[in-house]
Amino acid sequence: MRARRENLFHLLEPLLGRVEHPARYLDHEWGAVQDQEGPFHLCMVYADVYEVGQPNLGVAILYNQVNAQEGMSCERCYLPWKDMASLMRESGVPLLSLEGAAPLASFDAVGFTLAHELIATNVLETLDLAGIALTSAERDEDDPIVLAGGPSAWNCEPLAPVFDAVLLGDGEESIVEVCACIRDARAEGVPRAELLRRLAAVPGTYVPSLYEARVDEGSTRWGYAVPRPGETAPEVVRKRCVNDFAATDAVAQRIVPYMGIVQDRLSLEVLRGCARGCRFCQAGMTYRPVRERPADQVVSGGVEGLLASGHNEISLTSLSTTDHSQCEEILRRMNVELEGRGIRVSIPSQRLDSFGVDMAAAVAGGKRGGLTFAPEAGSQRLRDVINKNVTEEDLESAARNAFEAGWRRMKLYFMMGLPTETDEDVVGIARMAERVLEIGREVVGRGPKSGVSVSISVAVLVPKAFTPFQWCGQLGPDEVRRRQQLLLHEIRDRAIRVSYHDADVSLVEGALSKMGRAGFALVRRAWELGCSFDAWTSEFRFDLWVRAARECGLDLADVACEEFPLSARLPWDHTSPGVSKGFLQREWLRAVEGVTTPDCTRTSCTGCGVCPALGVHNVIQGVRS
Amino acid sequence: MSGSRPQPTDARPQDLPVKAELPRLRVEYVKDSRLAFLGHLDLIATVERCIRRARLPFSVGNGFARRVRIQFTSALPVGASSSCEYFDLRLTEPVDAQEALCALRAATPAALRPVRAAYVPGRLPALEAWLDRSSWELLAQGAGFDAARIARGVELVRERGELTYLRGEKEKRVDVASTLVGFEARDAEGGVALSVETRLAGCALRPQVLLDAAADAVGLPRAAALRVRRVRQGHEESGRLVEPFGPFCEKDGTPLS
Repeated sequence: MRARRENLFHLLEPLLGRVEHPARYLDHEWGAVQDQEGPFHLCMVYADVYEVGQPNLGVAILYNQVNAQEGMSCERCYLPWKDMASLMRESGVPLLSLEGAAPLASFDAVGFTLAHELIATNVLETLDLAGIALTSAERDEDDPIVLAGGPSAWNCEPLAPVFDAVLLGDGEESIVEVCACIRDARAEGVPRAELLRRLAAVPGTYVPSLYEARVDEGSTRWGYAVPRPGETAPEVVRKRCVNDFAATDAVAQRIVPYMGIVQDRLSLEVLRGCARGCRFCQAGMTYRPVRERPADQVVSGGVEGLLASGHNEISLTSLSTTDHSQCEEILRRMNVELEGRGIRVSIPSQRLDSFGVDMAAAVAGGKRGGLTFAPEAGSQRLRDVINKNVTEEDLESAARNAFEAGWRRMKLYFMMGLPTETDEDVVGIARMAERVLEIGREVVGRGPKSGVSVSISVAVLVPKAFTPFQWCGQLGPDEVRRRQQLLLHEIRDRAIRVSYHDADVSLVEGALSKMGRAGFALVRRAWELGCSFDAWTSEFRFDLWVRAARECGLDLADVACEEFPLSARLPWDHTSPGVSKGFLQREWLRAVEGVTTPDCTRTSCTGCGVCPALGVHNVIQGVRS
Repeated sequence: MSGSRPQPTDARPQDLPVKAELPRLRVEYVKDSRLAFLGHLDLIATVERCIRRARLPFSVGNGFARRVRIQFTSALPVGASSSCEYFDLRLTEPVDAQEALCALRAATPAALRPVRAAYVPGRLPALEAWLDRSSWELLAQGAGFDAARIARGVELVRERGELTYLRGEKEKRVDVASTLVGFEARDAEGGVALSVETRLAGCALRPQVLLDAAADAVGLPRAAALRVRRVRQGHEESGRLVEPFGPFCEKDGTPLS
């Protein structure tokens, strides 16, 4: 039975003085929509603490979209930190929304953003704290409809039993349609099962309970999902895509937090999608096509957003901001508009060439912090395998330009465990770092006071659904550690600092990325044993994950490192971001041969299949260089 | 960009006024209801954003982070409310104080509402150090709490002269003799009402810390419920109390009696 909608802040308030960072639970921020009359109520949930979830642009976009509708309200909810969760359970206080301090279990619908795989146990923790049944099958007729979406929805099968419906792709339009569908069905008194069938008819909406997993000789051990007999749900659910990106609000973030959050700045999405085609990158495949926002809209929206929010920094976000065909113009105009106001413009990623350095200089003004590049692999051969279309010369000239332009600290991102990787490639990471350091010393000088330093950060490749590497097994944790040691051994200069990802965390992420629906048993058991906040280094409990896997008859390394046959039906084949499986198979074969594929926004179509499948096309404002 | 430009960017550096010459607007504001739980650093960031939203011609520092030039009073303990917090804002050009107050009000959450604004001499010492006296009101509830026992506890703490307590993992030592100026306890509806007068001298005396130490000294459990509110701040000079808004001597900016 649905909980009663009422403001229960008075139950939470006495607990505020007993927890860390009570500002997490205050609400009433500038820009928050306090008028939450409904009568339809949605609560968007980011299942991590406030300061991690609040910067999420996806939540902000959907919050605005729903609140702009007549008769619909949208509130926010974040997972309380462990101290507060424990006090709430002790005091019998259920999880509340921020705006109305209403029980989460009282909402018509609750929508989770799946930002990454390691959020899985937090989703269960959220539902449990809210008093909402963990699985769709266990929910009562009148319980909230539990929705999900976001980047990790591309293999949501390990959480499929949890969700009543999953929204694939851009949510701007579909969230409103889904909410309207729920509202109308409820008004008509339609039974829950029928309501879910109606949701499956909303384009881009995957309703897991209408599908069953089948395992046969043509599938992996996790099987594949097909509509249950008698159900009319689509065999393949294609994502939604906003083609007229310029018609969306440039500034989605209207809420100004009180407390310091992880990205404490105004974010403006300057473009969506990336066609560079890096073969490890799930976002690059699933957010296609590329849609640029016009320079005028970026500049005016940014200035207006800064005035309205009072932020002192604006981040021009996207998967690859310096690829925007009007990037130079945007930065020049923003610098003029914002001059003298103590406002910083930042771009999250630099293109690995001289243009990238020029753009970094344009946003840095006279300041020179660190500069970050992502060569991803230590040898040209391996960069060709992953389709990272940069050469040794690109990196060297970018580094030289950067040192000449005044930067002293360089950060380089790499990955380990890429397909076909050898020890030579790992050693290549060390050599590349040394080469960059050497260039810095040539330009700046060799003295100890030159301040030149290079830091390298090495992640472990986690093969993700809908990438050309989706068939690959992850590198085993012991081998990851051996290669990390090899790299450390090869770094001889103290001016080079090395950091790398924890092999165990990557292993759990890999298993969650690979599993099918049966993987829910593992997630549920891990949560029951006490796993939550797995993305927090301080909270990650590998021992509990190992135990949970053992109790479920699984071995994490066995799951994460398993290779799938290229012809196999995959656990996520019933959903589609528009990129064809044939394209991904071709890309895999080209990867093995070390053949690169160009960026279709700079050359011609490369046949990924998105445009014809979704009836969309790239929208480039100028000419990309 | 609409609105007035806050920084005289076209001037040569040598023509720019030095910081002490910039107009110094003092703003009094409250901190109450749920924003009493806002920590000091978060408060600083929030006020800076309010100032930017108010589109006042604020001055920006020359440091790496290019911060708005603001000074705050000493940090309120998280959970304590106040009717008398202050910040000093350096402007690049004078604006009518009442207009500035209106603009700030329109850009600030109600729980941090500005209530008064006026210019003060530019060369006054930093606000945090200058406002060295605070008056607090507390309402405490706890098993066995009554005004006489709490007053006895405070006297015992005062006699010891020094108070130590843990803040996180750090041990803090407070010189009670110099930081505790006055104290009064009375029985009130809903618990014991306390008035505490403190002076800033080294490590600040937090009213809750004093109350906890007093309860410990007379063998009482810590307060089960407590409300703390700062009700007055001032500057102590030659034995007299100067109000935050003065009056000040127009000639040299010193406080007038």
